[in-house]
Amino acid sequence: MSNLAGILARTGALALSFLAPAAAIAEEALITNQPANSLSFVDLGTMKTSAEIRIGGKPAGIALSPDKKLAYITAPDGKELTEVDATSRTVKRRLTIAGGPLGIAVNPISGEVYVAGWYSNQISVVEPGDFTVTTEIAVGLSPSGLAVSPDGKLLLSADRDSNEVSFIDIATRTRTGSVKTGERPFGVTIDADGKRAYTANVASDDVTVIDLASRSATGRVSVGHRPYAVALAGGKGFVTGQGAGTITVFDLATLQQLKTIEACDHPEGIEASGADGAVYAACWGDNVLVKIDPKSLEIRGKASTGDGPRAFGKFLR
Amino acid sequence: MLKRVALAVVCASLMPALTSNGALAHGPTRQKVTQTIEINAPADKVWAAVGNFQDMGWTGIVTKTEGTGENGAGAKRSLTVPNGKLEENLLKFNAEAKTYSYELPKADPKVLPVANYSSTITVTPDGDKSKVEWKAAFYRSYGLNDPPPEESDEAAVKAVTGLYEASLANLKKKIEGGS
Repeated sequence: MSNLAGILARTGALALSFLAPAAAIAEEALITNQPANSLSFVDLGTMKTSAEIRIGGKPAGIALSPDKKLAYITAPDGKELTEVDATSRTVKRRLTIAGGPLGIAVNPISGEVYVAGWYSNQISVVEPGDFTVTTEIAVGLSPSGLAVSPDGKLLLSADRDSNEVSFIDIATRTRTGSVKTGERPFGVTIDADGKRAYTANVASDDVTVIDLASRSATGRVSVGHRPYAVALAGGKGFVTGQGAGTITVFDLATLQQLKTIEACDHPEGIEASGADGAVYAACWGDNVLVKIDPKSLEIRGKASTGDGPRAFGKFLR
Repeated sequence: MLKRVALAVVCASLMPALTSNGALAHGPTRQKVTQTIEINAPADKVWAAVGNFQDMGWTGIVTKTEGTGENGAGAKRSLTVPNGKLEENLLKFNAEAKTYSYELPKADPKVLPVANYSSTITVTPDGDKSKVEWKAAFYRSYGLNDPPPEESDEAAVKAVTGLYEASLANLKKKIEGGS
């Protein structure tokens, strides 16, 4: 994190961001530990926790600023959005958001922060400069995962209890349509090309593949019991199955299952470190972060975290 | 201990009616309960008592277990407890490792104030003794923001903890007492 090579790697990656948006290899994971009320900083080189700071309010969701210097964390019980300086590892600001703030995403272009209200059925738009809610956008029931397209124009909300994904035009703050998914979509992930989205459907044990241009569901993949979220790496999808304790790997082109990895107790938040980098998943039940090699599809490392890691969102920097 | 469980169950019955949204959503924070007990008997003997998805008689609380599918994939069971029934599904069963996992997708809060509940019971040998671990993951039954006390996270944890403590104590007494 703090070494010169790391700084150069990130600076270089930013300069090349138009050519290779997902080329940066993450060095650190920021893991929300929900029952522990904390945030763990895990060094991905050594797979050791280097720091743990208190957040409070049962933190669950996380997203990072475009330069990855700030982390935004939702605490649904505490009804707060917390801004953390990831470098100094300190809480900077707190903002009250009443309706069960859970899912969160940051606009990769503007840095705007979007927070899903699990109970309020709306998305709060937070202006990052003065850290206030500027707009609220009505969506479906129990909005969960959020994702923003790489061009920063489209916001998707997985509306868990409506069994659909809302399409929101960011410029006009308007919900312009929706696509039906499997039952109870929770996590939603948009690919690096901005062409497809994938939802993890908790109650139907599958993933819905959505074509963003035509706004239609174009595929379905069966995965492990009670899927939570999807990560994309090396032409493959990786899906955490909370109930099964597995990570299901499928081919993005053929949508065929490649492997079921016996992972851990309640794997949840999952993210790929760059386009071909390792995949990391937080295991709520046994308090670890697991590292998966996207080629061999084997678990290559484990790091201890605080109690009950969820890491729902984008947590790698 | 049985009285304590029954009390939690009665309190939960005072819950207000759920709205349409609340019937679907769940609490924002999943809860963990892990209870263990050491039993002065070999693991094979303990597993013989607990290692059947179709018989929860060892708990001393479940008065009847009715089910289908034995211990195989897709097995189901209906447990009769003092205030009602719990309908559970088997997720994983591994006799060699002496462990099985099951889920209770939804429950009447009057019986157990939890939602999306899953649990694993494992018997581990420790010399000529055994350790039984019972580990649950669940949400509170109340699906809306700001739950009433009887359907809070704390109430859900208390009910499951009470159920597990009483059941494991009954198992220990039953096996060590030789009955």
